[in-house]
Amino acid sequence: MITINNLVKVYNGKVAVNISNLEIGNGIIGLVGNNGAGKTTLFRLLLDLVKSDRGEVLSNEKNVSENEDWKNYTAAYIDEGFLIPYLTPEEYFYFVGKLNNRSKADVDEMLAGFTTFFDGSILKSGKYIRDLSKGNQFKVGIAACLLQDPEVMILDEPFANLDPSSQIRLIQMMKALNEKKPMIILVSSHDLNNITDVCTRILLMEKGLIIKDLQTSSDTLNELEDYFRV
Amino acid sequence: MISTLLQHQWKSFWRSRSAGRNVAMQIFIGFIVLYLAATAIFIGFSLDKILSEAFPRKEIISVYLGFILYYYAFDIIMRFILQDLPTLAVQPYLTQNINRNKLVQFLNIRSLFSIFTLLPLFLFLPFITTIISNKYGQEVSLALVVCIFSLTIFNHFFVLFIKRKTILNQWWLIGFFVVIILVAAADYFQIFSLRNWSSALFTSVIKVPALCIIFIVLAIAAWYNNSKFLRKNFYLENLQKSSGEKKSTDYNWLQRFGVYGDLMAIDLKLILRNKRPRTLLLLAVFFLVYGYIFFTPEHLSKNDFGFFLLISIFITGIFMSSYGQFLFAWQSSHFDGLMASNMNIKTYLKGKLYLLTTFSTISFLLSLLYGFLSWKLIPILIAAWLFNIGIHSVLTCFIGTRNYKGLDLSKGSSFNYQGTGAAQWLYSFVILIVGGAIYLPFALLINSWSGIIAIAILGLISFLMQDWWLDKITVQFQKHKYKILEGFREK
Repeated sequence: MITINNLVKVYNGKVAVNISNLEIGNGIIGLVGNNGAGKTTLFRLLLDLVKSDRGEVLSNEKNVSENEDWKNYTAAYIDEGFLIPYLTPEEYFYFVGKLNNRSKADVDEMLAGFTTFFDGSILKSGKYIRDLSKGNQFKVGIAACLLQDPEVMILDEPFANLDPSSQIRLIQMMKALNEKKPMIILVSSHDLNNITDVCTRILLMEKGLIIKDLQTSSDTLNELEDYFRV
Repeated sequence: MISTLLQHQWKSFWRSRSAGRNVAMQIFIGFIVLYLAATAIFIGFSLDKILSEAFPRKEIISVYLGFILYYYAFDIIMRFILQDLPTLAVQPYLTQNINRNKLVQFLNIRSLFSIFTLLPLFLFLPFITTIISNKYGQEVSLALVVCIFSLTIFNHFFVLFIKRKTILNQWWLIGFFVVIILVAAADYFQIFSLRNWSSALFTSVIKVPALCIIFIVLAIAAWYNNSKFLRKNFYLENLQKSSGEKKSTDYNWLQRFGVYGDLMAIDLKLILRNKRPRTLLLLAVFFLVYGYIFFTPEHLSKNDFGFFLLISIFITGIFMSSYGQFLFAWQSSHFDGLMASNMNIKTYLKGKLYLLTTFSTISFLLSLLYGFLSWKLIPILIAAWLFNIGIHSVLTCFIGTRNYKGLDLSKGSSFNYQGTGAAQWLYSFVILIVGGAIYLPFALLINSWSGIIAIAILGLISFLMQDWWLDKITVQFQKHKYKILEGFREK
């Protein structure tokens, strides 16, 4: 459970995030909004990568900026800044595994499950992560999150850089995860079709505010399209 | 067209984030460049006096002529290590309506804007236009000026060609160094003498000035060869990075240190797999033998212990401090990820402290070889090492928490001020002041040995307090974490 109380972040006099109260429970939660709406800043606030000007983020009732317990059950991929560019994908996976007390054998076993998702271009590719294409870097980041078997997973625009097959694979994986165990999956995206397909709840952001909080239904896609058509 | 492209380069230089945002830095770099140029010109103009002082029994013109090829041999090595290939500059223009010959020409001209092009002119031309011109006349001096220009151009394009070749094929690198070592060895063991060659070569130019045409031909050939090669290998991927397959590596010997071992392994890979830290490592190896310049028999007999201590701290700490001045900034490109990963901040910082200790210890073990010069150096080196692992390392971490500028790992480290700020300038000052504050009172009031013992004991005590320090560093780090993250995110 993530709770946000009176959270405000201002950049150069411009409000980036301003959320008075928000509770996020288990399920796949989508975050939509145009560029500059504050989606990524919100994610960074949740991960204690940005200092809030006011308010707090509680993860399992503990303030994320005062306590590091959330790191034990939270995995995130926002951009390439989460990958170590000069490692091979394998080295990176083993490193992340080690931080989460997974042995190499465990990691190998989990990676075997990603064979179709990786499509032969990640493992044993003979490249450092910095030499992979952006889409493949995203795959590495997403797989590294899944490896951690987290209770909270945060992905920023995961569909944007993936090819259609991988998008479909990712949606299937997220749904399967959500059914397997109770967890929070927070995803932002510009792809309204994907987001209404995968999410149980959708938050619409505009200029730092959450202006809509929708439980996904058959109308949701139309409602969102109406909003964005303006 | 080419002038437009060059204008863009000019703008890119002054508007780059590292230069543009900080006027003080621009002024500073300006001063450094002016200083280097002034020094070179000064040396150039007083070369006759320097030479007649250094070689009183020889005729200075022949000494001077013997020196020219030496300079250019050395120039090849320096250029090879320090000069950057301006390939990326061309990337935005590839898809524009500019033909390839133009772009190749642009790359060639762009690359000439380098301190290496100016330095030999400053060094050699004053002597030629004064002393030689007076003695042999203007025609001869003009011929020599042409030689100097041509040799500079030749070296420039020759090294660019070799460097690009080594990127495509590693054997060229090995071949290059083998040739360099062979030539150096042959000269050292006097199988042949570069000086005599140089002297003979340029004496004949003085006799027959028209011979300078050979040099012009050489320069044009090097330029032509380089252009041809560039045209053929114009695709970016060929020029930027080596295409060799990258393999995963395990450092099993680090496994016993648990998660700290893994963190250290990542730092090691950072150093070995990125250009900027790799250049730094090479320089550190070079500085390790620096002591041979200072620990001479005359110096050693003088028992100038304060000076020895300074040099020892430098030798055993150079790699630690050159890496440590950018402690967290090395990882700026993925600092977000590190901070969000499942790792305590204290664990991360402890890993860094261990890393610094390891670096210093390795340098220390290697530096023990200086013990062969004099036994007195060994206790001094030990004291310097204790100071480095106890005090220097802790200070490095503290100063690291105040560094908000990220680094671009892919660029070489020479003449690269990207990511450099106040923290780096302060750094060496702080170390010197702290070291001096411990050593000097004892050395002045009692004697040098007591100062060295004080350094050793305080270093050891501070080293034993590492965990206590770590808590303090963690507090500082937490305080500045967001500012560091924000700074590192700006690219």
